[in-house]
Amino acid sequence: MPDLPQRKAGIVACSGEELPEGTVARLAALKVLHELRPGNTVTICLPLFLAGGEGDRAFARFHPTITVDGCELRCAARGTEMYSGKPAASIVVKQLAAAQGVGVIEGRRSLNDAGKRAVDVTAQRLAELVDRFVGKRDTRGATTELVVLQPSGAKVAACSCGTGVPTKTALIDGKPVEGKE
Amino acid sequence: MSEFLRVTVDKFTFRVATDRLYTAEGAWVLRIQPREVNNVRLGVTDFVQQHNGDVAFVNIKPGGTPIHVGDEFAEIETMKVTLALASPVDGTIVRLNEAFTLNPELINQDPYGEGWLAEIETTNWETDRTRLLDPRAYLAVMQAQAEEELKS
Amino acid sequence: MTCRVAVIPCSGIGKALGSVTREAAYELCDNLRPDRTQLVALSKLVLGEEQARERIQNSPAVTIDGCKQMCAAKLVRHSGGTVVREIAVFEVFRRYKELKPEGIAELNEEGKQLARALAGEIAADVDEITKGGAHA
Repeated sequence: MPDLPQRKAGIVACSGEELPEGTVARLAALKVLHELRPGNTVTICLPLFLAGGEGDRAFARFHPTITVDGCELRCAARGTEMYSGKPAASIVVKQLAAAQGVGVIEGRRSLNDAGKRAVDVTAQRLAELVDRFVGKRDTRGATTELVVLQPSGAKVAACSCGTGVPTKTALIDGKPVEGKE
Repeated sequence: MSEFLRVTVDKFTFRVATDRLYTAEGAWVLRIQPREVNNVRLGVTDFVQQHNGDVAFVNIKPGGTPIHVGDEFAEIETMKVTLALASPVDGTIVRLNEAFTLNPELINQDPYGEGWLAEIETTNWETDRTRLLDPRAYLAVMQAQAEEELKS
Repeated sequence: MTCRVAVIPCSGIGKALGSVTREAAYELCDNLRPDRTQLVALSKLVLGEEQARERIQNSPAVTIDGCKQMCAAKLVRHSGGTVVREIAVFEVFRRYKELKPEGIAELNEEGKQLARALAGEIAADVDEITKGGAHA
């Protein structure tokens, strides 16, 4: 099997200052970028992205990019779609925190315990999504499992020349495996 | 006006000017006077300024200072690190970039142009230049460094 | 009636100075001048959220940027705001050389001190801007 270059996913967080959920989004993104998946992720700075940062926009255009927003306004997701393309996946902290029952998040400057739980829950979900889009190696045994999935909303994977390469089915150990959403 | 080679690693694009020579550590050397007088101008590369962040302070040894290959001729303090820059040539510092007093960020804004550091009147140019890298050789070294840095 | 100054930090996530802008904005708006300032989230403003737009259209703006890209200043102007003071934290750092900030998720003590010093300077600007209830 060819030795493929390591893929990376971009992460864009809203960092919204007005709500504690914006702080949760920021801290969860940083946790994944620096602790959980440092070798598989790239920081996309939202203000620079919005102000015209070409490096950030180009990366988000051609690599899977996951957005983390504090609230339903979804500034990171909408901004990414506006300048690079629909995100591969998108997390909204308010929704995820409610679904996980972390409690009432308070303290936009210094999070309460519920806020800290929300950071952990969000970071974990984000790390799972990173694994999905870059491929996760099973370090326990000899088998290497690479699951090729369609990014959400994308019809085809494309390289920088724009050529579409449909990737719905992958062959693993000679057996076809369907891509999952 | 310089032309550039470019390489992109993750979201960063790094430029290498094609009209000068380089050290593996990321200093560039540009001859500014031909023939008898081998004066050169020194600076740091686009990779060095991007990798080390916004420059806060620049300290360069004063004009008239004799230096040898490997001697520290300048110190750049960024938000992240303090870089001690070693001279790639033997000679005497004859001119400093005075603009840094007010605008040290010139190194970030224009590393190959207005962000130059010092001019040296060299004493051993024909030997010193053999130790330097041409633009393509530096590009390869720099790309490997960038990929290694971004892995960690 | 005294107008409230809109304070917009860049909150850049790639550098410690981005966190300094955020911390300084909180110190200013929550502690030092809560009655004379209002914090505005930059991304909300750029993406057209109505309340954010109203705030900067009706109030003088102070932007706080962590690096030379000056994203907050550029974007607030582009969104129709009047930037009466644009702060570049890396220039302020030159006057507080001993306070080298480190850490993005959690600023070190020097970074927090730099943020407090910065907030104090901006508070004086806010007083000047809002003097007599007039816009600057």
